[in-house]
Amino acid sequence: MSVRYGRDLALEDVSLSVARGGAVALIGPNGAGKSTLLKAILGLLPLAQGGVKVLGRRPEDAREQVAYVQQADTLDPEFPVSVLQVVLMGRYRAVGWARRPGAADRREAMRALTEVGLADRAKDRFGTLSGGQRQRVLLARAIAQHAQLLLLDEPFNGLDATTTDVLIEVLARLRGDGVGVVMSTHDLAVAHLTCGDACVLNRRRVAYGPIDQAITPGNLAEAYGSRAVLLASEATIVTTAD
Amino acid sequence: MVRLLVEPFRDAYMQRALIEVLLLSGLAGIVSVYVLLRRLAFVGDALTHTIFPGVAIAFVAGQSLFLGALVAGLLSAVLLTWASRIPTVDQDAALGVLVGAFFSLGVVIVSTRQSYTADLTALLFGRILTVDTAEIIQTAVITAAVLVVLALLHKELVLRAFDPVAAEAMGYRVMALDLVVNGLVALVVVAGVRAVGTVLVIALLVVPGAIARLVTDRIGGLLVVSVGAAALCGYVGLAASYEASLNHRVRVGSGATIVVALTVAFLGAATVTTLVRRRRPAPTTPQADPVPA
Repeated sequence: MSVRYGRDLALEDVSLSVARGGAVALIGPNGAGKSTLLKAILGLLPLAQGGVKVLGRRPEDAREQVAYVQQADTLDPEFPVSVLQVVLMGRYRAVGWARRPGAADRREAMRALTEVGLADRAKDRFGTLSGGQRQRVLLARAIAQHAQLLLLDEPFNGLDATTTDVLIEVLARLRGDGVGVVMSTHDLAVAHLTCGDACVLNRRRVAYGPIDQAITPGNLAEAYGSRAVLLASEATIVTTAD
Repeated sequence: MVRLLVEPFRDAYMQRALIEVLLLSGLAGIVSVYVLLRRLAFVGDALTHTIFPGVAIAFVAGQSLFLGALVAGLLSAVLLTWASRIPTVDQDAALGVLVGAFFSLGVVIVSTRQSYTADLTALLFGRILTVDTAEIIQTAVITAAVLVVLALLHKELVLRAFDPVAAEAMGYRVMALDLVVNGLVALVVVAGVRAVGTVLVIALLVVPGAIARLVTDRIGGLLVVSVGAAALCGYVGLAASYEASLNHRVRVGSGATIVVALTVAFLGAATVTTLVRRRRPAPTTPQADPVPA
């Protein structure tokens, strides 16, 4: 597919596929089009060329089967909403218009919170949690949604060890249940631990395939340019300032 | 004390004013919470100006000013929603352009007339004391309509306010939800203008929610406190303006007195919460996670 923002081609001729239980890591520098690709899979952006199929349907028709986890620090920490309420939002589509989440929805939400280790914080205001805990709350919201495809936009950025461990565990559990995962990340170690495939991109696809074959020093240098400094193999990519 | 709070409402006109004020308090108090959550104070302010050409046209045509305000309010709510979604135009700029265009259109229409009449003065400053039964029914109908819409869409509107990206990803039409909220704000402006005027209706839309936010962290609590604060200040403001006008021979506008009461309540709540928070160590600071390995 290709995606255009105004006159600029944000993504050119990128294609990939995720099987049930499969996982693809999107690797590339900032501005490479990773978020654009995720939004295209959600059907939120018009495609200049090509197409997206989610579970055999148009993305617009499959949204209830797709959960999206963005970076938690994009959300207002002052917003008066409790942790449980945030997780319950994952149930809203299933609950439907004009109705309030019921006891079963609350049980689902608490189960998801327990899985990410935050059941004891359910009543606290979302903004009182640390950055890593907030990221786990958003993951719990995605769990409560019971989606078939999980899209994560740099969920591991600047997180603590506990949250990273929880994310890795939860992604493995979901994949075992047949959920497909597409995740953008800069963290190559985490990418290796969570994903079978990788797509290295910088506006166009540099490499795509089994993660060991796609993530090579040569491909990374091509995607990140000369700014990339690879700290050992399978580690985080550090980019020097522009 | 009882005399001060009960005596003003012996007369039928004061009773009608009280009913109107309490209805408006319920209406504005609830919508105020959504204005707070979405940070729409400026949109509310814009709508107080964009209803003006509707009123002016209705005035020149000899039609109901309420109807003119209603049409212009809903039309500008649609335009505001649409304009704020144009990617190449800054939202504040879009609002500014719309406000200027609408308001100047109203001025042009009015200036074709020889004189500004009492009706238009009332539009600026409100005339709660002359509200009649038909107008109370209009406010009641608007309040009921707003309550029904919010009962249907409350959770979706909160989701959209908190996390628009997730709302969109889940398949909600964010623009439609925005249109609903802007439409509700327009309805409050149209209903509130008669009581407190265009200049002060913005206080009704913003201050009750702001008071509530000082007191509580919960959305349910926000709705209760916001309505309660608006109703209490409406009641006290009405009684105070009556007392001042009749017993102390100081003529003060009822609408303005209500807004003064709201402002005092806000300052009081802000002072108390600041003092309370200073006394105990802030419970809202994020708990640190273990340091990353």
